[in-house]
Amino acid sequence: MEADARGPELSIIVPARNAARTIVAALRSVRASSLPAESYELIVVDDASDDETASLAARYADVVMRLAGRPAGPAYARNRGAEVATGALLAFVDSDVALLPETLPRLVADLARDPMVGAVSAGYGDGEARNFFSQYWNLLLRLGMQRGARGGAHHIACCAVVRRGAFFTSGLYDEWRFRTGCLEDVELGIRLATHGYRVLVSTNNGVARLSETSFADVTRAVWMRGRLLTRSLGYRRTRHIASGDVMYTLTRPGIPGLLFGGALALCAETTPRTGAPIVIALAAALICLVNLPTFRFFARERGLGFTVLAMPAHLVAQATAVAALISGWLLRHFIGDGVPDATTQAYAEVGAEMWPPVPRQT
Amino acid sequence: MRSAAPDRAFSPRRAPSVSYIVVVPEDHIVSAERLAQRLPRAADRAVKIIVACAGQPADLGMLQRTVANAEFLLAPVGTTAEELRELAMRRAPGDIVTLVDGASPRAMSDRSSALRV
Repeated sequence: MEADARGPELSIIVPARNAARTIVAALRSVRASSLPAESYELIVVDDASDDETASLAARYADVVMRLAGRPAGPAYARNRGAEVATGALLAFVDSDVALLPETLPRLVADLARDPMVGAVSAGYGDGEARNFFSQYWNLLLRLGMQRGARGGAHHIACCAVVRRGAFFTSGLYDEWRFRTGCLEDVELGIRLATHGYRVLVSTNNGVARLSETSFADVTRAVWMRGRLLTRSLGYRRTRHIASGDVMYTLTRPGIPGLLFGGALALCAETTPRTGAPIVIALAAALICLVNLPTFRFFARERGLGFTVLAMPAHLVAQATAVAALISGWLLRHFIGDGVPDATTQAYAEVGAEMWPPVPRQT
Repeated sequence: MRSAAPDRAFSPRRAPSVSYIVVVPEDHIVSAERLAQRLPRAADRAVKIIVACAGQPADLGMLQRTVANAEFLLAPVGTTAEELRELAMRRAPGDIVTLVDGASPRAMSDRSSALRV
């Protein structure tokens, strides 16, 4: 890949919002890539940050776009970056991930091998998460990625390279319905596939998440993903395409869990009061049984102690996921899927040619 | 569904403001001629140009005459290229800020006019 008179072949777009703690490490990892410096341009889109994100990004970026007003989400920021990018390939890299030097060259090589491949994602690696919930969340993401890599259109936006033509033909990221930074990548993957492009996850090419995740972050992410999944995408329709999404990792044991739970409730009804410890033991056994593949993965990666500690958090995440799916389903059936208001639609196709840019309608 | 950014949707529309930052580290020399060649052809647009230098370039007077509309940011000797970029970014007012190293062979492009979909 070489730069020519028209500019670099690859445009790396980094959406960032209040990312001062991670963006330096993220951009350094991009600059440390084994790609020649003249073969790519690095564009950071600052989504109305309150901190020093823009000035820190300027240390390494070729272009910094500053979006003012209210933050509009990573889908919006990526689209604005794509509009000013000049490369034939667009790489989207989150501001809280660190790449390996070979990550981007491998993704570009995967695209070069097959012209029908529209997008290749790197997926999540082990990372160096320090706190417990970051490790738990990383494991969930990785487990899903491993399960879903064999499936179809599974696009992961944390680090992905997309052909420019495929990206614009497919209509960019949906910045209306998926502005919270959840599932917009899955949705784009579905549209890319609809337009005839193959969407791949590059195995053994994971990136490390730099941000720390709290328990509140986990439950918030699960809640938002769950609601969007049933409200805007459809749970069953999406399962065949993005079976590796974390929502399916959490809810896959749902049906056996309900069956076992029913049996347990029946058991508890017929058990004398003195048998409460037995009921608790049965409940614990039930949780372990329905989540056995997940807990085995946790144990293999982090040990038995971590797995035992993760069980309560996993149970809460699963309960949140179920509540979110039901909430999204109710919203879809009683209110409907989200649509932009008419006034904003009128400006929607203007993009970044006028400022401030109005979100596009996909 | 509410707008993703109502204040953006209903605020007056304008062309994006553009700034260019040329970074000249301590051990680099940029001739006035070359600097003029590197700057964008955007005469019809209000473009803010900042030339960020570590120390005072030997031919500062010539550079200032060549790029009369540029703001020269003279940082102390020893300021690294990354620090220069950060300092200049804090001064740059544009919605779209393009940064280029003085010694880099890549020419600046006017991104706001190169928008394409």
